[in-house]
Amino acid sequence: MTLFTFRIQGCVPGAVQAVKVQLDPSQANVLKMHRLRVVSGHLSPQNRLGPYSHAQIARSECSASLPVAADDIVVVHGLRTAIGKAKRGSFKDTTPDELLSAVMSAVLRDVGLSPDKLGDVCVGNVLQPGAGALMVRVAQFLSGFPDSVPIYTVNRMCSSGLQALFNVAGGIRNGSYDLGLACGVESMSLRSVGNPGDVSSRLMDNAKARDCLIPMGITSENVAERFGISREKQDAFALSSQQKASKAQERGVFQQEITPLTTRFVDEDGKERTIVVSKDDGIRPGTTVEGLAKLKPAFKPDGSTTAGNSSQVSDGAAAVLLGRRSMVEALNLPVMGVLRACAVVGVPPDLMGIGPAYAIPAALRKSGLSVADVDVFEINEAFASQAAYCVEKLGIPMEKVNPNGGAIALGHPLGCTGARQVVTLLNELKRRGKRAYGVVSMCIGTGMGAAAVFEYPGN
Amino acid sequence: MKTFRCPSRHGYAAEISPFLPSRLACAASQHYGIAGCGTLLVLDQDEGGIKLIRSFDWNDGLFDVTWSENNEHVLVTGAGDGSVQVWDTANPRGPLQVLKEHTQEWDLERPQSLCTFRGHEGVVYSTVWSPHVTSCFASASGDGTLRVWDVKMGVSRLVIPAHNAEILSCDWCKYDQNVLVTGAVDCGLRVWDLRSTRQPVAELLGHSYAIRRLKFSPFHRTLLASCSYDFTVRIWDFSRPEPLLETLEHHTEFVCGLDFNLHIPNQVVDCAWDETVKVYIPASLADLQPCAD
Repeated sequence: MTLFTFRIQGCVPGAVQAVKVQLDPSQANVLKMHRLRVVSGHLSPQNRLGPYSHAQIARSECSASLPVAADDIVVVHGLRTAIGKAKRGSFKDTTPDELLSAVMSAVLRDVGLSPDKLGDVCVGNVLQPGAGALMVRVAQFLSGFPDSVPIYTVNRMCSSGLQALFNVAGGIRNGSYDLGLACGVESMSLRSVGNPGDVSSRLMDNAKARDCLIPMGITSENVAERFGISREKQDAFALSSQQKASKAQERGVFQQEITPLTTRFVDEDGKERTIVVSKDDGIRPGTTVEGLAKLKPAFKPDGSTTAGNSSQVSDGAAAVLLGRRSMVEALNLPVMGVLRACAVVGVPPDLMGIGPAYAIPAALRKSGLSVADVDVFEINEAFASQAAYCVEKLGIPMEKVNPNGGAIALGHPLGCTGARQVVTLLNELKRRGKRAYGVVSMCIGTGMGAAAVFEYPGN
Repeated sequence: MKTFRCPSRHGYAAEISPFLPSRLACAASQHYGIAGCGTLLVLDQDEGGIKLIRSFDWNDGLFDVTWSENNEHVLVTGAGDGSVQVWDTANPRGPLQVLKEHTQEWDLERPQSLCTFRGHEGVVYSTVWSPHVTSCFASASGDGTLRVWDVKMGVSRLVIPAHNAEILSCDWCKYDQNVLVTGAVDCGLRVWDLRSTRQPVAELLGHSYAIRRLKFSPFHRTLLASCSYDFTVRIWDFSRPEPLLETLEHHTEFVCGLDFNLHIPNQVVDCAWDETVKVYIPASLADLQPCAD
């Protein structure tokens, strides 16, 4: 039995365009192709007479096909903490295990799942020693998970939260377990970027290796210069992010996805108090183009990348519960989304910001979809330069990109971001109600890009 | 609006029983009708919703369904393998008869075809008996013509080059024996008067993709409904200068099936590739009084 998928091109956006068909090699394919051509002919813009008009029927391996398959990797639920500005914001005195523990507990509590049902937990983290391998085990016990549930961490820089999801999906797909938790956490208040670790002196003789040490801000300048993304364009992009995030916060859009966290906070006089954090504190509703234009370049004297058009340094955590559909249904758990495709690609380290421009097409290809089929793109705004470049390069209509704002306004807690974007994406699609596809993508320091395609099944 | 979900089955046709206003049938197929099997769903609607009475499976997709008009238990479906099945809702085991050879017309009393009508040069997508003249029926074809036939003659009585594109559906006006409507791949509906076929009486534009099916209202002379690949169902009154009365966007996939209820004024059933069958009264019709014209 061979599995083929036919994609009817030229369909209305949002239509299921990929039809998964099981064909017995001994059966004639003629019948199936004929029917596809007939339907395709009805949709062809030329509207010529007869069923064999200029219909394009492409046959491809495609994962965004039938709505229901027992082996689908589905997202059951996801939550995040609010995002706090590093060193000055809500979580400046909060250790990452507390952030992580809060989201892990909340996700399972919301769906009434006992933690002993989890086959594994994977947490994205970048800055903690050993990517936080010990810290996350502590977090698990703070959440009251039994010691029988294993946990580990993954570090692929800014994509770690999404990589955690890929890893858990992989574990489900290879039959290791049916349910897993994919998380991401970062405290940039308590740890900083900077130490490259122990690297050979030979690095200096190897151009690509040397490029891995380029500060992220300089890679942003590289992208801006190479691809002609002006300061004005970057500032406009940044303004848009702040405005969208402001509006969303005002309308209470994030209430659905944020789990409030009670934590300690030490104020200026050294007094410690307890606060409840439920709102992102990085958003600046009063941002204006003039205000952004006044900011000095942050990385290079005559550069265009400023603090205002870069992502913020932040603290936060997110958790996403994934499962094999058959088990999810057997346990009567809800299905909030379906993972349809994953892709990770490599790009030049000195231009790391272009990652999404390569990762997104790779993921779309695997899912058999095109940009037109996707309703919402969550593209991490590491810098306005690279985000704007990727959106333009892929021809994505701006209204589809980060409708509730991005990292420039919300913040970019490194290990958390990927998981946070998934939570924000699926909640947005849920709000819109209809069946739709969404994409999460980000660039990765040292030169990579990652992307995932999700399907929201519709209310 | 009442919705019936049929997981993994994509609706191609829906029809309400002429005998029982609460009874409806939907011909649905697996894998969007491209491959796999088909299921005939016999449903019943009440204030609470729609429930399944009986379902019948066939090993190819089912693409059309109609109720018998002389026996309330009997229905007929058309399948992708070219056969026609006769079902009895009281008999769960399988079809009463299977008639294979889709180019021919059948009398259920006799297992052989009565007559073959040749003339079309493309796929015949739809045929409809005239509600006024007993021996007369119309057909819509991929060759772009609407043809009117008389059973007593073997050839078409009238050939109308109605569209420059495949015509997927046609229907007779229930109040005027000379009026028909066609819906085509060119996204337009055209209303025709058989007495002067040079140009249409009205052209109804609004759909953005091919029209899959249309039906004239049993209660209003100039009212009709259409469903399309553009996911919408639209209600039209071709006597008005602005004929589009309402656009219903309650489906997320191609809408293929459509019918009016003969007993409950202005009630409509539709079915779509999104695995749902819906029954509702469109808002634009809800306030109208049925006219006896």
